[in-house]
Amino acid sequence: MKVVGARLPRYDGVGHVTGRTTYVDDVRVPGMLHAAALRSVHHNARITRLDTGAAAAMAGVHAVVTHADVPLLVYGHLSGAGIPGDEPLLAKDHVRYRGQPIALVAADTVDIARAACAAIEVDYEELPALFDVRLGFDGDAPVINDTFGNWYDQYEGNLDVRQIRKGDIDAAMDAADLIVSGVYRTQSVEQVPLETQVCVAIPEPDGRLTIHTCTQAMYFSLGVVCSHLQLPMSQVKMVGGTVGGGFGGKVDTASDTLTALAAQKSGQPVKWRWTREEEMLASGNRGPWHMEIIDAVTSDGWILGRKMLTIHDAGAYGRFSVYGLTKHSFHHTGAYSIPNLHFDGYVVFTNKIPTTAMRGYGVTGLSTAIEVHAERVAKELGMDPYEFRLKNANRVNDTSPNRIAYEDPSTVEVLQSLAAATGVELGDGLRAMTREQRSGDMLPDHLVAQIGSGGGH
Amino acid sequence: MAVHRGKGLATVEYPTGMNQNGDPSQAWIKVKPDGRVDVFSGTADIGNGSKTVQSQIVAETIGVPYDWVTYDNSNTDSSPMCTGTFASRATFVAGNAVLKAARQVRERILAVASRELEIDPADLEVADGSVSVKGTPAKSMGVDEVAGAATFVHGELLTGDGAHLNPGAAIIDPTTGEVDKPPHAAISYAACTAEVEVDDETGDVRVLSLTQAYDIGRAMNPTLVEGQIDGGAVMGLGFGLLEDCYPYYPTAEHRGDGMNTYHVPTMAELPEIKNVLMENPSSGGPYGAKGIGEMSNNAQPAAIANAIHDAVGVWVTEFPITPERVLAALDAKSEGRSEPRREGRVVAFDEELSINSFTSAKTWGA
Repeated sequence: MKVVGARLPRYDGVGHVTGRTTYVDDVRVPGMLHAAALRSVHHNARITRLDTGAAAAMAGVHAVVTHADVPLLVYGHLSGAGIPGDEPLLAKDHVRYRGQPIALVAADTVDIARAACAAIEVDYEELPALFDVRLGFDGDAPVINDTFGNWYDQYEGNLDVRQIRKGDIDAAMDAADLIVSGVYRTQSVEQVPLETQVCVAIPEPDGRLTIHTCTQAMYFSLGVVCSHLQLPMSQVKMVGGTVGGGFGGKVDTASDTLTALAAQKSGQPVKWRWTREEEMLASGNRGPWHMEIIDAVTSDGWILGRKMLTIHDAGAYGRFSVYGLTKHSFHHTGAYSIPNLHFDGYVVFTNKIPTTAMRGYGVTGLSTAIEVHAERVAKELGMDPYEFRLKNANRVNDTSPNRIAYEDPSTVEVLQSLAAATGVELGDGLRAMTREQRSGDMLPDHLVAQIGSGGGH
Repeated sequence: MAVHRGKGLATVEYPTGMNQNGDPSQAWIKVKPDGRVDVFSGTADIGNGSKTVQSQIVAETIGVPYDWVTYDNSNTDSSPMCTGTFASRATFVAGNAVLKAARQVRERILAVASRELEIDPADLEVADGSVSVKGTPAKSMGVDEVAGAATFVHGELLTGDGAHLNPGAAIIDPTTGEVDKPPHAAISYAACTAEVEVDDETGDVRVLSLTQAYDIGRAMNPTLVEGQIDGGAVMGLGFGLLEDCYPYYPTAEHRGDGMNTYHVPTMAELPEIKNVLMENPSSGGPYGAKGIGEMSNNAQPAAIANAIHDAVGVWVTEFPITPERVLAALDAKSEGRSEPRREGRVVAFDEELSINSFTSAKTWGA
């Protein structure tokens, strides 16, 4: 092969490093208005009055968009997967996090739009807020999510929990020489793209809308916009494909729909570029994960079973959190074969920014927890960290938590390569290991039952 | 007071493609009268290099030079559907779509060349922008000539379309989580060693080096792979040590609202990074590729945490591992409060963080 595998220069590299690439913020259109958002100043509150009259009457203001202007106010990011929507595009009766948008103003300048936002009259009745997912299950906890309550309760089978059950966890705990538990808490972080959320929406003479978008997923965002606006896909042209950094934070379609509504209402092109402060304080970020792991292990270093509780902090609304938790549950054994499993996972709501996708979604915190726990277990056993990992490494035809046979796991090989690269001397037995299906000493009784029949990945 | 060194290890795996699959990508290709190739795809390039990699797949598959290929992902009117650039799916899923479209184009080129050369298409091959007779390379014509003949002699348009969809995996038993088919397109694997220095007076942690081994299936463009892995390593360092949207949790006040108040890694924190790329081709990816964009920030936080334990003998399991948390853990250790509860077979760490210490509404334990 000549082209695949070659160190070719980036297709768009010169434009990016010389500043000549056209990003959304570089789009200039005659007659273009500028937008600014009015956002909630409270973490949790009832909106008792919303009056945009004074703002709309200001010179230079061309449109004030509120919940009343949205044809379909609530559309779920995972509606296509059968998960109900819960988040209004603009707040109507409640605000559930500080920074939640309530109105968007389109005006001749950004300064006028911001002044108009300040002129919108909102009365709030503040409510108690909840931030710690560990308190969300309490009977006296404030109710946060109007659709689901305090945790998502509509998994398949009407369960309120994402479960994995495999093998016999009680037998594994009974048989263990050591039972090691630990608690791991990973935090919320921001994707920090250099390009903040930004959109330019243009009403075309033929009645269509052209939307210059920074989305990571043009067709997904096309679907979101068309759903909220109740338009067929033929009426909207998304223009994008070149993104100034996303890292997962630009799947939410955070700015396109509202900018389009402002363009429709004003009849003029509108640009809405979020400030860095808005990007940091109001855009969806990586969600925190609270993870408790209990491993049943033998004194010679086999992991017989794992019991795990995961609580994912969704923030105020669901967005992709159920997807993230499900993915998390499918991978909660990490790179190891653990035959007896008992996993319970919850998506819990708090009065924080709705969390969303970020690089490694559902797994980054999980990998962190699993690997610190693995190190602790190895230390408790007095075992070399490479030996403990290589012994339990997943092999061909071992099965995953959801009973799919691994086709080509390379945990053994990456560990051997890393050892070689860092000057770690592995013993003969560890150096000779391969990914191939377990047999002999590597196939103790407790692993026999979970060997699959192949055919998976 | 001293600076202590330590090393820590972590191993990770990560799926390619959307969890449970069911995420289509489509592409189409047309050839200009001079043989130059235009690819239309709906895949956004978020800096991951998908424009480059998809163009490479097309050039390789058709058999034309890379610089003959233009790539248009600019809008939803001309580009077909792509689920999007996330879930480490662009190279594998969208790459398969352009691969299939390119195969069709190649077949069309061979069909026209066959008529021009009066040779069975099965006896022809395309490489470097030229169609030649297998075993008789002297007998050939350029793809530019083929495209010209298609346009002006045969009245045809050389095109191809392709779509890829890994069928959706359903959870067939919600009580066990069992699925009916593989819920991922592939799985990638990696391991990482972190080397750190911990200052036991300030709690400051400096990462000296990160050494990483990645099974990436196939390095479509090694330079871009290294870019992903280096960038991911730094992002993992930020997650492990620096970044937190709610630094005064459990209050939600005093959040960082800019680059000066929210600390992402800078050149000042950049460690030495060494990478080992392993190619264990996937069965379903274009040219054996797997996705590795996302997993590249998953191994470092644990490797760093484990290195800190190696250096100063404390476990910090609330992230990020700030100097405050390191100092608190060192204080706990010196005061004899850091040992787990040991009772018979049970070794219980971190009980003060457990949900059991906060509520009785959820019962949890072994």
